[in-house]
Amino acid sequence: MNIQNFLIAFWIGVAGLSLLLYVVLDGFDLGVGILTLVVRDEEWRGKMMASLSSVWDANETWLILLGGVLFGAFPRVYAALLQGLYLPVILMLFSLIMRGVAFEFRHSSQRKLIWNIVFGLGSLGAAMSQGLILGAMIQGWPTFGGNYINNGWHWLTPFSLLTALGVTLGYALMGTGWLIFKTTGLMQDSAYRQGLMLLAATVAAGALVLGLTPSYNAHIAALWLGATALPYGAAAAAAVIAALITLWAYLKRREYWPFLGTLLLFTTSFIGLVGSLYPYAVFPAITWTDAASAPSTLLFMLAGILPLLPIMIFYNGYQYMVFRGKVDSAEYGGGEEAE
Amino acid sequence: MSANAVVDLSRAQFAFTALFHILWPVLTIGLSFFLVILEALWLKTQDSDYYHHARFWSKLFVLNFTVGVVSGLPMEFEFGTNWAEFSRFAGSFFGAMLGFEGAMAFMLEAGFLGIMLFGWQRVPRFVHFLSTLMVASGASLSALWIVMANSWMQTPAGGTFMHDRFVVTDFWAAMLNPDMVWGVSHMWIASIEIGCFVVGGLSAWHILKNRSPDFFVKSFKIALMVAIVVTPLQIYLGDGSGRSVFHTQPSKNAAIEGHWHTNSDGHGAPWALIAWPDAAKAGNDWSVDLPYVLSLLDTHTMDGKVEGLSDIPAQNRPPALPLLFYAFRLMVAIGFYLFGIMLISWWHVHRKGWRAQNWQSSPWLLKAWIAGLPLAYIAMEMGWVVREVGRQPWIIYGVLRTSQGASVLPASSIGFSITGFALLYAVLAIGFFIFAGHWLRNGPDLSMKPPPVTSPSGRKGGRT
Repeated sequence: MNIQNFLIAFWIGVAGLSLLLYVVLDGFDLGVGILTLVVRDEEWRGKMMASLSSVWDANETWLILLGGVLFGAFPRVYAALLQGLYLPVILMLFSLIMRGVAFEFRHSSQRKLIWNIVFGLGSLGAAMSQGLILGAMIQGWPTFGGNYINNGWHWLTPFSLLTALGVTLGYALMGTGWLIFKTTGLMQDSAYRQGLMLLAATVAAGALVLGLTPSYNAHIAALWLGATALPYGAAAAAAVIAALITLWAYLKRREYWPFLGTLLLFTTSFIGLVGSLYPYAVFPAITWTDAASAPSTLLFMLAGILPLLPIMIFYNGYQYMVFRGKVDSAEYGGGEEAE
Repeated sequence: MSANAVVDLSRAQFAFTALFHILWPVLTIGLSFFLVILEALWLKTQDSDYYHHARFWSKLFVLNFTVGVVSGLPMEFEFGTNWAEFSRFAGSFFGAMLGFEGAMAFMLEAGFLGIMLFGWQRVPRFVHFLSTLMVASGASLSALWIVMANSWMQTPAGGTFMHDRFVVTDFWAAMLNPDMVWGVSHMWIASIEIGCFVVGGLSAWHILKNRSPDFFVKSFKIALMVAIVVTPLQIYLGDGSGRSVFHTQPSKNAAIEGHWHTNSDGHGAPWALIAWPDAAKAGNDWSVDLPYVLSLLDTHTMDGKVEGLSDIPAQNRPPALPLLFYAFRLMVAIGFYLFGIMLISWWHVHRKGWRAQNWQSSPWLLKAWIAGLPLAYIAMEMGWVVREVGRQPWIIYGVLRTSQGASVLPASSIGFSITGFALLYAVLAIGFFIFAGHWLRNGPDLSMKPPPVTSPSGRKGGRT
């Protein structure tokens, strides 16, 4: 393996890790936001949001890191993705703006209703646009000099609507897992019940997506249905096991495992699906190797960012640890003044 | 719609989103350092006023920070959505800087923000202080990487320009490009100066209205002490930045000064105090000139040569000349205004001391501080107009034209995004002012009990 191939592999790894961390961390975060749309009790909604107060910003930061890593290490991927998916990306950004600001404004406002709606719809919009982006990535789009030059609606298809549904359900499922983790009593009970239904719906949507994927992407069809099927079959098997663990956790009402099982389900599906797209970054024209920056950049970024990765993960983990335990107040940060 | 109109739409969107976004991080930087000072003073003196100050100002901090975060997120992606050709061309340097910003700055800030805002009762005082320090460091590091990347667009260095991309050969030369030290320091001090005049202006308002005046003299004092250092320093850095522009970006320098004709040997270039530059007739419609002053400003000699716009090909001259000319003058005038009220306040302290009643006896001075708050922001925005519009028609000065850097997009897509940003940002601004208004009217909660000195034991909601 020459140095450039190693560097490319390393940066695909870092981009993949940032994306995975973003999807699972902001995933539960957006999921809780989606669930606030169906909560009637203002006190419950307050507690749901309070459970996110110390982490939502840090969770979203993985998306920013992903953007920076792609821009530096794979500028052609960064450019092609964002230009080619202009509208869904803009929709995602608008949604994230809405939910982020509603999160803090609701806290300061006497009129909670408007910000509740903005927060819920923003969370839903972000999840759906991320699902649309996933569907568009699987289907790919024609490029000319890296650019998509037709009317701009290639990302909106029945298949991408299905992936949008799948991602939205999956995020909501992670949300119930998080709420079981963070709440007690009636709220936790309600999360157990919602989660069980969401699990069934997520698995159904996920299976449909997986079943249809080969017919929307010839490269993946060749991988999954040919002699190379074994590792992908293994990933699928792991996802099935993760789904069963989650089901068991919901039925047996184990506090930690609904969340951890869902995390495992997302991780295995993510690795299986994203791994299948390799070597393409934007199917069918742009590969990771073609899109990579010169070795000088990849090496310089490695020297700067690699030592920071464990530190970042450590202090992010520390912050989660400081705010561990159940949320028993709608005050952000856990209502310290009550002490 | 023509390709140029599409480029102009992308420019309008970027200008709007960037000018809006930058309003917030400057206060995040300035206020986070103020919070570090307050917390250090509290830990050192055990005076609970400083604790109450920290809690009071951190409420403004979080409102401001949130708008900064949500309006900053699109910036990270707009280079790709609207400037895909620039991204492909410059990504191996410019993108790497954004990657460093994400990994070093935002992560640090976000990783400790929760503890800083909500962790008072959950972590020992020392850990909390450290978290505040990390948030402040993260915010400032973010400015370092971003302005460094922007400086490279002003004075590109450190690599080879191929026909379709830039390949970095020397990262240190690219990062330490000629504009970097001036650009970064001028912007960082601008952030501290804005933080200083937000704290100073709002404290002055409380003193003027006789709302907890003794309490607010404490924050006013810190603001004035900081102003004594930063207002003259910023004028020095502004002069340095201006001379850096003179050396590295002659077209920008000529445009902001309305300077058309290169002075001949032995003659000093005059400086137009006020004028109306007219691109069509390639001259000023009218002007009030001070002889020799432009040579003096740019070269620090009486007759140093200053290149005029007439010697720069028309297609390489910046657009919007009157805007550049007056934006620059407004920024400079405000810089001196802030310096001036610092001097007067210093003299006032010397004569009358720090007591609240003595400040209240000079309401005009407190009002001058209150006016300094919006003026400091206006100066900063004018500075960015000078920097970015003055760089035109280049996206990378002298290398890549802005029109070559833009994405190929349907005009309707940009029309949608620009409308959405305008509506959303109007909501953000209105919401911020409403809630900041509540915060200001409610004032500080002086009954709040500081956390115990020992490590907090009664952690709420811990696993029991």
